[in-house]
Amino acid sequence: MISKIRPAIIEKADGYIPLLLSFTIITFFVGLYFSLIESPADYIQGDSMRIMYIHVPSAWFSLMIYTLIALSSVFWFILRNPLLSLAGRSLAPIGAMFTFLALITGSIWGKPTWGTWWAWDARLTSMLILFFLYLAYILLWHSISNKDNASKIAAALGIIGFINIPIIKFSVDWWNTLHQPATISKLSTPSIDVSMLIPLLIMTLAFGLFLVSLFIIRIRILSLELRINRKMIY
Amino acid sequence: MFKNLLLRDLRLAYYSSSNFIYIGSFFILVTILIPFVINTETEGLKSVFQGLIWVGLALALLLALDRIFSSDFDDGNLDIILRMKVSYEKIYLSKLLSVWITYCLPIVIIVPLISTAFNLTINETIFVTINLFCGSFGMAATAIGINALLMGLKRMIYLKSIIVIPLYIPFMIFGVEQGSWPVLSALSMIAVVVASFATSYGLRLYGE
Repeated sequence: MISKIRPAIIEKADGYIPLLLSFTIITFFVGLYFSLIESPADYIQGDSMRIMYIHVPSAWFSLMIYTLIALSSVFWFILRNPLLSLAGRSLAPIGAMFTFLALITGSIWGKPTWGTWWAWDARLTSMLILFFLYLAYILLWHSISNKDNASKIAAALGIIGFINIPIIKFSVDWWNTLHQPATISKLSTPSIDVSMLIPLLIMTLAFGLFLVSLFIIRIRILSLELRINRKMIY
Repeated sequence: MFKNLLLRDLRLAYYSSSNFIYIGSFFILVTILIPFVINTETEGLKSVFQGLIWVGLALALLLALDRIFSSDFDDGNLDIILRMKVSYEKIYLSKLLSVWITYCLPIVIIVPLISTAFNLTINETIFVTINLFCGSFGMAATAIGINALLMGLKRMIYLKSIIVIPLYIPFMIFGVEQGSWPVLSALSMIAVVVASFATSYGLRLYGE
Protein backbone atom coordinates (compact mmCIF):
# COMPACT_ATOMS: atom_id res chain seq x y z
CA MET A 1 0.00 0.00 0.00
CA ILE A 2 2.81 2.39 0.86
CA SER A 3 4.56 1.64 -2.42
CA LYS A 4 1.68 3.25 -4.29
CA ILE A 5 2.85 6.71 -3.18
CA ARG A 6 3.98 8.69 -6.19
CA PRO A 7 6.46 11.14 -4.70
CA ALA A 8 6.93 12.81 -8.09
CA ILE A 9 3.94 15.08 -7.45
CA ILE A 10 5.25 16.07 -4.07
CA GLU A 11 8.78 16.62 -5.34
CA LYS A 12 7.43 18.81 -8.12
CA ALA A 13 5.38 20.86 -5.67
CA ASP A 14 8.41 21.19 -3.45
CA GLY A 15 10.13 23.48 -5.97
CA TYR A 16 7.37 26.03 -5.57
CA ILE A 17 7.80 26.40 -1.80
CA PRO A 18 10.20 29.42 -1.89
CA LEU A 19 7.94 31.17 -4.40
CA LEU A 20 4.84 30.44 -2.30
CA LEU A 21 6.49 31.55 0.93
CA SER A 22 7.67 34.83 -0.57
CA PHE A 23 4.19 35.46 -1.99
CA THR A 24 2.75 34.71 1.46
CA ILE A 25 5.05 37.20 3.18
CA ILE A 26 4.38 39.93 0.60
CA THR A 27 0.62 39.44 0.83
CA PHE A 28 0.78 39.50 4.62
CA PHE A 29 2.64 42.79 4.62
CA VAL A 30 0.27 44.35 2.08
CA GLY A 31 -2.73 43.06 4.03
CA LEU A 32 -1.36 44.30 7.35
CA TYR A 33 -0.63 47.71 5.85
CA PHE A 34 -4.18 47.98 4.54
CA SER A 35 -5.80 46.63 7.69
CA LEU A 36 -3.73 48.52 10.28
CA ILE A 37 -3.07 51.88 8.59
CA GLU A 38 -5.17 52.36 5.49
CA SER A 39 -8.61 51.20 6.65
CA PRO A 40 -10.74 53.38 8.95
CA ALA A 41 -11.39 52.48 12.59
CA ASP A 42 -14.88 51.37 13.54
CA TYR A 43 -16.87 54.28 14.92
CA ILE A 44 -18.26 52.27 17.83
CA GLN A 45 -15.49 49.78 18.63
CA GLY A 46 -12.53 51.97 17.68
CA ASP A 47 -9.26 50.30 16.83
CA SER A 48 -10.09 47.05 18.62
CA MET A 49 -12.10 45.80 15.64
CA ARG A 50 -8.92 45.55 13.58
CA ILE A 51 -8.36 42.11 15.12
CA MET A 52 -11.19 41.01 12.83
CA TYR A 53 -8.68 40.88 9.94
CA ILE A 54 -6.95 37.97 11.72
CA HIS A 55 -10.00 36.48 13.39
CA VAL A 56 -12.35 36.06 10.43
CA PRO A 57 -9.92 34.42 7.94
CA SER A 58 -8.68 31.94 10.55
CA ALA A 59 -12.27 31.01 11.48
CA TRP A 60 -13.15 30.51 7.78
CA PHE A 61 -10.11 28.36 7.14
CA SER A 62 -10.58 26.28 10.29
CA LEU A 63 -14.00 25.20 9.01
CA MET A 64 -12.72 24.70 5.47
CA ILE A 65 -9.83 22.49 6.57
CA TYR A 66 -12.13 20.11 8.44
CA THR A 67 -14.26 19.83 5.29
CA LEU A 68 -11.09 19.06 3.33
CA ILE A 69 -10.13 16.34 5.82
CA ALA A 70 -13.58 14.76 5.54
CA LEU A 71 -13.42 14.95 1.72
CA SER A 72 -9.99 13.36 1.65
CA SER A 73 -11.28 10.59 3.96
CA VAL A 74 -14.24 9.91 1.66
CA PHE A 75 -12.01 9.81 -1.40
CA TRP A 76 -9.54 7.63 0.47
CA PHE A 77 -12.32 5.04 0.83
CA ILE A 78 -12.98 5.20 -2.92
CA LEU A 79 -9.47 5.46 -4.37
CA ARG A 80 -7.32 3.99 -1.57
CA ASN A 81 -4.52 6.35 -2.53
CA PRO A 82 -2.18 6.81 0.46
CA LEU A 83 -1.54 10.41 -0.59
CA LEU A 84 -5.10 11.20 0.52
CA SER A 85 -4.56 9.90 4.04
CA LEU A 86 -1.26 11.80 4.16
CA ALA A 87 -3.18 14.91 3.12
CA GLY A 88 -5.64 14.50 5.99
CA ARG A 89 -2.83 13.83 8.42
CA SER A 90 -0.87 16.91 7.38
CA LEU A 91 -3.94 19.17 7.31
CA ALA A 92 -5.15 18.37 10.84
CA PRO A 93 -2.52 20.29 12.88
CA ILE A 94 -2.87 23.29 10.57
CA GLY A 95 -6.62 23.27 11.12
CA ALA A 96 -6.18 22.94 14.88
CA MET A 97 -3.81 25.91 14.78
CA PHE A 98 -6.31 28.06 12.86
CA THR A 99 -9.13 27.07 15.24
CA PHE A 100 -6.96 27.97 18.22
CA LEU A 101 -6.07 31.29 16.60
CA ALA A 102 -9.73 32.06 15.96
CA LEU A 103 -10.65 31.23 19.58
CA ILE A 104 -7.80 33.29 21.07
CA THR A 105 -8.32 36.36 18.87
CA GLY A 106 -12.05 36.08 19.46
CA SER A 107 -11.63 36.18 23.20
CA ILE A 108 -9.13 39.08 22.99
CA TRP A 109 -11.66 40.91 20.83
CA GLY A 110 -14.50 39.97 23.17
CA LYS A 111 -12.92 41.51 26.27
CA PRO A 112 -13.23 45.19 25.21
CA THR A 113 -16.45 44.80 23.19
CA TRP A 114 -18.58 42.42 25.28
CA GLY A 115 -16.74 42.91 28.57
CA THR A 116 -15.93 39.23 28.98
CA TRP A 117 -13.26 36.86 27.74
CA TRP A 118 -15.64 33.99 27.11
CA ALA A 119 -19.39 33.51 26.73
CA TRP A 120 -21.16 30.18 26.30
CA ASP A 121 -22.50 31.37 23.03
CA ALA A 122 -23.51 28.98 20.24
CA ARG A 123 -20.74 29.93 17.87
CA LEU A 124 -17.99 29.96 20.49
CA THR A 125 -19.01 26.60 21.92
CA SER A 126 -19.17 24.87 18.56
CA MET A 127 -15.73 26.26 17.64
CA LEU A 128 -14.34 24.88 20.91
CA ILE A 129 -15.77 21.45 20.10
CA LEU A 130 -14.29 21.68 16.60
CA PHE A 131 -10.90 22.25 18.23
CA PHE A 132 -11.31 19.08 20.28
CA LEU A 133 -12.37 17.11 17.21
CA TYR A 134 -9.12 18.19 15.54
CA LEU A 135 -7.24 17.18 18.67
CA ALA A 136 -8.85 13.72 18.71
CA TYR A 137 -7.91 13.21 15.05
CA ILE A 138 -4.28 14.24 15.69
CA LEU A 139 -3.98 12.10 18.82
CA LEU A 140 -5.38 9.11 16.95
CA TRP A 141 -2.62 9.40 14.35
CA HIS A 142 -0.12 9.81 17.14
CA SER A 143 -1.08 6.78 19.18
CA ILE A 144 -1.26 4.10 16.47
CA SER A 145 2.25 3.10 15.52
CA ASN A 146 1.26 1.10 12.43
CA LYS A 147 0.48 3.96 10.02
CA ASP A 148 -1.29 1.67 7.53
CA ASN A 149 -3.83 0.79 10.20
CA ALA A 150 -3.95 4.36 11.41
CA SER A 151 -4.89 5.65 7.97
CA LYS A 152 -7.79 3.18 7.81
CA ILE A 153 -9.14 4.19 11.21
CA ALA A 154 -8.49 7.91 10.82
CA ALA A 155 -10.45 7.98 7.55
CA ALA A 156 -13.50 6.55 9.35
CA LEU A 157 -13.08 9.00 12.22
CA GLY A 158 -12.77 11.96 9.85
CA ILE A 159 -16.12 11.12 8.29
CA ILE A 160 -17.84 10.48 11.65
CA GLY A 161 -16.56 13.80 12.98
CA PHE A 162 -17.88 15.58 9.92
CA ILE A 163 -21.37 14.14 10.47
CA ASN A 164 -21.17 15.38 14.02
CA ILE A 165 -20.36 19.00 13.18
CA PRO A 166 -23.75 20.03 11.70
CA ILE A 167 -25.51 18.17 14.54
CA ILE A 168 -23.46 20.06 17.12
CA LYS A 169 -23.99 23.36 15.31
CA PHE A 170 -27.75 22.81 15.17
CA SER A 171 -28.09 21.55 18.73
CA VAL A 172 -25.88 24.27 20.19
CA ASP A 173 -27.90 26.93 18.39
CA TRP A 174 -31.07 25.47 19.84
CA TRP A 175 -29.63 25.15 23.34
CA ASN A 176 -28.35 28.68 23.24
CA THR A 177 -31.52 30.39 22.05
CA LEU A 178 -33.40 28.77 24.90
CA HIS A 179 -31.02 29.98 27.56
CA GLN A 180 -29.25 33.22 26.69
CA PRO A 181 -30.61 34.99 23.64
CA ALA A 182 -29.07 38.41 24.34
CA THR A 183 -25.47 38.04 23.27
CA ILE A 184 -26.04 36.90 19.72
CA SER A 185 -27.03 40.30 18.37
CA LYS A 186 -23.58 41.62 19.25
CA LEU A 187 -21.92 38.71 17.48
CA SER A 188 -23.58 39.18 14.10
CA THR A 189 -21.24 41.01 11.80
CA PRO A 190 -22.34 44.49 10.78
CA SER A 191 -22.90 44.96 7.06
CA ILE A 192 -19.34 45.56 6.00
CA ASP A 193 -18.00 48.61 4.17
CA VAL A 194 -15.77 48.34 1.08
CA SER A 195 -12.86 50.03 2.88
CA MET A 196 -12.93 47.17 5.40
CA LEU A 197 -13.77 44.42 2.91
CA ILE A 198 -10.64 44.92 0.80
CA PRO A 199 -8.12 44.39 3.65
CA LEU A 200 -10.18 41.41 4.83
CA LEU A 201 -9.98 39.81 1.39
CA ILE A 202 -6.23 40.47 1.15
CA MET A 203 -5.72 38.91 4.58
CA THR A 204 -7.83 35.91 3.54
CA LEU A 205 -5.63 35.46 0.48
CA ALA A 206 -2.53 35.68 2.69
CA PHE A 207 -3.93 33.05 5.06
CA GLY A 208 -4.79 30.81 2.12
CA LEU A 209 -1.24 31.08 0.71
CA PHE A 210 0.15 30.37 4.17
CA LEU A 211 -2.09 27.29 4.44
CA VAL A 212 -1.02 25.95 1.05
CA SER A 213 2.70 26.41 1.70
CA LEU A 214 2.47 24.83 5.16
CA PHE A 215 0.47 21.96 3.69
CA ILE A 216 3.07 21.26 1.00
CA ILE A 217 5.94 21.37 3.50
CA ARG A 218 4.16 19.04 5.92
CA ILE A 219 3.01 16.51 3.33
CA ARG A 220 6.53 16.35 1.95
CA ILE A 221 8.01 15.69 5.39
CA LEU A 222 5.41 12.99 6.10
CA SER A 223 5.98 11.22 2.78
CA LEU A 224 9.74 11.25 3.33
CA GLU A 225 9.16 9.82 6.80
CA LEU A 226 7.04 7.02 5.33
CA ARG A 227 9.74 6.18 2.78
CA ILE A 228 12.44 6.11 5.48
CA ASN A 229 10.32 3.76 7.61
CA ARG A 230 9.69 1.55 4.61
CA LYS A 231 13.40 1.17 3.98
CA MET A 232 13.94 0.33 7.62
CA ILE A 233 11.26 -2.38 7.63
CA TYR A 234 11.77 -4.12 4.32
CA MET B 1 -26.80 -17.65 17.00
CA PHE B 2 -27.88 -14.10 17.77
CA LYS B 3 -29.46 -15.32 21.02
CA ASN B 4 -26.32 -17.25 21.96
CA LEU B 5 -24.10 -14.21 21.39
CA LEU B 6 -26.39 -12.00 23.43
CA LEU B 7 -26.69 -14.49 26.29
CA ARG B 8 -22.94 -15.02 26.32
CA ASP B 9 -22.26 -11.29 26.65
CA LEU B 10 -24.89 -10.91 29.35
CA ARG B 11 -23.56 -13.89 31.33
CA LEU B 12 -20.00 -12.53 31.06
CA ALA B 13 -21.20 -9.17 32.31
CA TYR B 14 -23.22 -10.72 35.13
CA TYR B 15 -20.33 -12.77 36.50
CA SER B 16 -17.74 -9.99 36.08
CA SER B 17 -17.25 -6.51 37.50
CA SER B 18 -19.82 -4.94 35.17
CA ASN B 19 -22.67 -6.52 37.08
CA PHE B 20 -25.76 -4.35 37.49
CA ILE B 21 -24.99 -3.93 41.19
CA TYR B 22 -21.66 -2.29 40.36
CA ILE B 23 -23.13 -0.02 37.68
CA GLY B 24 -26.05 0.98 39.89
CA SER B 25 -23.88 1.75 42.91
CA PHE B 26 -21.46 3.71 40.72
CA PHE B 27 -24.30 5.82 39.34
CA ILE B 28 -25.89 6.44 42.76
CA LEU B 29 -22.53 7.48 44.18
CA VAL B 30 -21.97 9.92 41.31
CA THR B 31 -25.34 11.55 42.01
CA ILE B 32 -24.68 11.57 45.77
CA LEU B 33 -21.77 13.92 45.07
CA ILE B 34 -24.21 16.72 44.16
CA PRO B 35 -25.42 17.60 47.69
CA PHE B 36 -21.80 17.92 48.78
CA VAL B 37 -20.86 20.45 46.11
CA ILE B 38 -24.06 22.51 45.96
CA ASN B 39 -26.32 24.18 48.49
CA THR B 40 -29.22 21.76 49.04
CA GLU B 41 -31.63 24.54 50.00
CA THR B 42 -31.70 26.13 46.57
CA GLU B 43 -33.65 25.34 43.43
CA GLY B 44 -30.37 24.53 41.68
CA LEU B 45 -30.35 20.99 43.10
CA LYS B 46 -33.00 19.86 40.64
CA SER B 47 -31.32 21.21 37.50
CA VAL B 48 -27.90 19.95 38.54
CA PHE B 49 -29.39 16.49 39.10
CA GLN B 50 -31.01 16.51 35.65
CA GLY B 51 -27.65 17.36 34.12
CA LEU B 52 -25.61 14.96 36.19
CA ILE B 53 -27.78 11.99 35.19
CA TRP B 54 -26.35 12.34 31.69
CA VAL B 55 -22.81 12.84 32.94
CA GLY B 56 -23.18 9.70 35.06
CA LEU B 57 -24.44 7.68 32.11
CA ALA B 58 -21.58 8.98 29.96
CA LEU B 59 -19.04 8.11 32.68
CA ALA B 60 -20.44 4.59 33.01
CA LEU B 61 -20.11 4.09 29.24
CA LEU B 62 -16.65 5.69 29.08
CA LEU B 63 -15.35 3.36 31.78
CA ALA B 64 -16.65 0.46 29.68
CA LEU B 65 -14.70 1.64 26.62
CA ASP B 66 -11.75 -0.59 27.42
CA ARG B 67 -13.74 -3.79 27.39
CA ILE B 68 -16.65 -3.70 24.92
CA PHE B 69 -14.83 -5.45 22.06
CA SER B 70 -11.33 -5.32 23.51
CA SER B 71 -11.73 -8.18 26.00
CA ASP B 72 -12.98 -10.51 23.26
CA PHE B 73 -10.17 -9.30 21.02
CA ASP B 74 -7.56 -9.95 23.70
CA ASP B 75 -8.53 -13.51 24.62
CA GLY B 76 -9.17 -14.58 21.04
CA ASN B 77 -12.92 -15.08 21.33
CA LEU B 78 -13.46 -12.51 18.61
CA ASP B 79 -11.63 -14.68 16.08
CA ILE B 80 -13.94 -17.58 16.89
CA ILE B 81 -17.03 -15.37 16.62
CA LEU B 82 -15.85 -14.02 13.25
CA ARG B 83 -15.22 -17.58 12.01
CA MET B 84 -18.78 -18.65 12.83
CA LYS B 85 -20.13 -16.99 9.65
CA VAL B 86 -22.39 -14.67 11.62
CA SER B 87 -23.06 -11.43 9.78
CA TYR B 88 -21.35 -8.36 11.22
CA GLU B 89 -24.73 -6.70 11.67
CA LYS B 90 -25.90 -9.51 13.94
CA ILE B 91 -22.74 -9.24 16.04
CA TYR B 92 -23.28 -5.48 16.25
CA LEU B 93 -26.93 -5.83 17.21
CA SER B 94 -26.22 -8.38 19.94
CA LYS B 95 -23.44 -6.13 21.24
CA LEU B 96 -25.76 -3.10 21.23
CA LEU B 97 -28.44 -4.95 23.19
CA SER B 98 -26.00 -6.43 25.69
CA VAL B 99 -24.22 -3.11 26.28
CA TRP B 100 -27.54 -1.32 26.69
CA ILE B 101 -28.84 -3.93 29.14
CA THR B 102 -25.58 -3.98 31.10
CA TYR B 103 -24.74 -0.29 31.35
CA CYS B 104 -27.88 1.72 30.57
CA LEU B 105 -30.81 -0.32 31.88
CA PRO B 106 -29.68 -0.17 35.56
CA ILE B 107 -29.43 3.63 35.28
CA VAL B 108 -32.82 3.95 33.56
CA ILE B 109 -34.34 1.91 36.42
CA ILE B 110 -32.52 3.76 39.21
CA VAL B 111 -33.27 7.34 38.07
CA PRO B 112 -37.03 7.29 38.84
CA LEU B 113 -36.30 5.65 42.20
CA ILE B 114 -33.90 8.34 43.44
CA SER B 115 -35.34 11.40 41.69
CA THR B 116 -37.70 12.27 44.58
CA ALA B 117 -34.64 12.81 46.77
CA PHE B 118 -33.68 15.64 44.41
CA ASN B 119 -37.08 17.45 44.53
CA LEU B 120 -38.30 16.27 41.11
CA THR B 121 -42.07 16.10 40.65
CA ILE B 122 -43.65 12.95 39.20
CA ASN B 123 -44.18 14.68 35.85
CA GLU B 124 -40.56 15.72 35.59
CA THR B 125 -39.42 12.25 36.60
CA ILE B 126 -41.41 10.68 33.77
CA PHE B 127 -39.93 13.15 31.26
CA VAL B 128 -36.39 12.57 32.47
CA THR B 129 -36.78 8.78 32.34
CA ILE B 130 -38.24 8.82 28.82
CA ASN B 131 -35.41 11.11 27.66
CA LEU B 132 -32.86 8.80 29.21
CA PHE B 133 -34.45 5.74 27.60
CA CYS B 134 -34.46 7.33 24.14
CA GLY B 135 -30.98 8.81 24.30
CA SER B 136 -29.11 5.93 25.91
CA PHE B 137 -29.40 3.70 22.82
CA GLY B 138 -27.52 6.24 20.74
CA MET B 139 -24.85 6.74 23.38
CA ALA B 140 -24.30 2.99 23.70
CA ALA B 141 -24.12 2.66 19.90
CA THR B 142 -21.54 5.46 19.69
CA ALA B 143 -19.36 3.78 22.31
CA ILE B 144 -19.58 0.45 20.46
CA GLY B 145 -18.73 1.97 17.06
CA ILE B 146 -15.68 3.89 18.29
CA ASN B 147 -14.52 0.89 20.30
CA ALA B 148 -14.83 -1.44 17.32
CA LEU B 149 -12.61 0.91 15.32
CA LEU B 150 -10.03 1.19 18.11
CA MET B 151 -10.14 -2.26 19.69
CA GLY B 152 -6.47 -2.88 18.92
CA LEU B 153 -5.46 -0.08 21.27
CA LYS B 154 -5.02 -1.43 24.78
CA ARG B 155 -5.22 0.81 27.83
CA MET B 156 -5.99 3.84 25.69
CA ILE B 157 -9.15 4.81 27.57
CA TYR B 158 -8.26 8.51 27.61
CA LEU B 159 -7.77 8.64 23.84
CA LYS B 160 -11.08 6.85 23.34
CA SER B 161 -12.78 9.25 25.76
CA ILE B 162 -11.40 12.27 23.89
CA ILE B 163 -12.86 10.85 20.69
CA VAL B 164 -16.22 9.82 22.19
CA ILE B 165 -17.07 12.86 24.35
CA PRO B 166 -17.52 15.31 21.42
CA LEU B 167 -19.90 12.77 19.91
CA TYR B 168 -21.93 12.75 23.16
CA ILE B 169 -22.47 16.52 23.26
CA PRO B 170 -25.67 16.56 21.14
CA PHE B 171 -27.21 13.92 23.43
CA MET B 172 -26.30 15.99 26.48
CA ILE B 173 -27.74 19.20 25.04
CA PHE B 174 -31.08 17.68 24.10
CA GLY B 175 -31.18 15.36 27.11
CA VAL B 176 -31.64 18.13 29.67
CA GLU B 177 -34.59 19.67 27.79
CA GLN B 178 -37.99 18.44 28.88
CA GLY B 179 -40.05 16.73 26.21
CA SER B 180 -37.26 16.49 23.67
CA TRP B 181 -37.54 12.71 23.36
CA PRO B 182 -38.45 12.82 19.63
CA VAL B 183 -35.19 14.62 18.87
CA LEU B 184 -33.27 12.22 21.10
CA SER B 185 -34.81 9.22 19.35
CA ALA B 186 -33.84 10.71 15.98
CA LEU B 187 -30.27 11.22 17.19
CA SER B 188 -30.23 7.66 18.54
CA MET B 189 -31.40 6.27 15.20
CA ILE B 190 -28.66 8.19 13.35
CA ALA B 191 -26.06 6.96 15.84
CA VAL B 192 -27.26 3.33 15.66
CA VAL B 193 -27.07 3.32 11.85
CA VAL B 194 -23.68 5.07 11.61
CA ALA B 195 -22.24 2.89 14.37
CA SER B 196 -23.35 -0.26 12.54
CA PHE B 197 -21.22 0.77 9.54
CA ALA B 198 -18.31 1.72 11.81
CA THR B 199 -18.54 -1.58 13.70
CA SER B 200 -18.62 -3.77 10.62
CA TYR B 201 -15.70 -1.79 9.17
CA GLY B 202 -13.71 -2.23 12.37
CA LEU B 203 -14.52 -5.95 12.58
CA ARG B 204 -13.45 -6.41 8.96
CA LEU B 205 -10.17 -4.57 9.67
CA TYR B 206 -9.29 -6.82 12.60
CA GLY B 207 -10.73 -9.96 11.06
CA GLU B 208 -8.26 -9.83 8.18
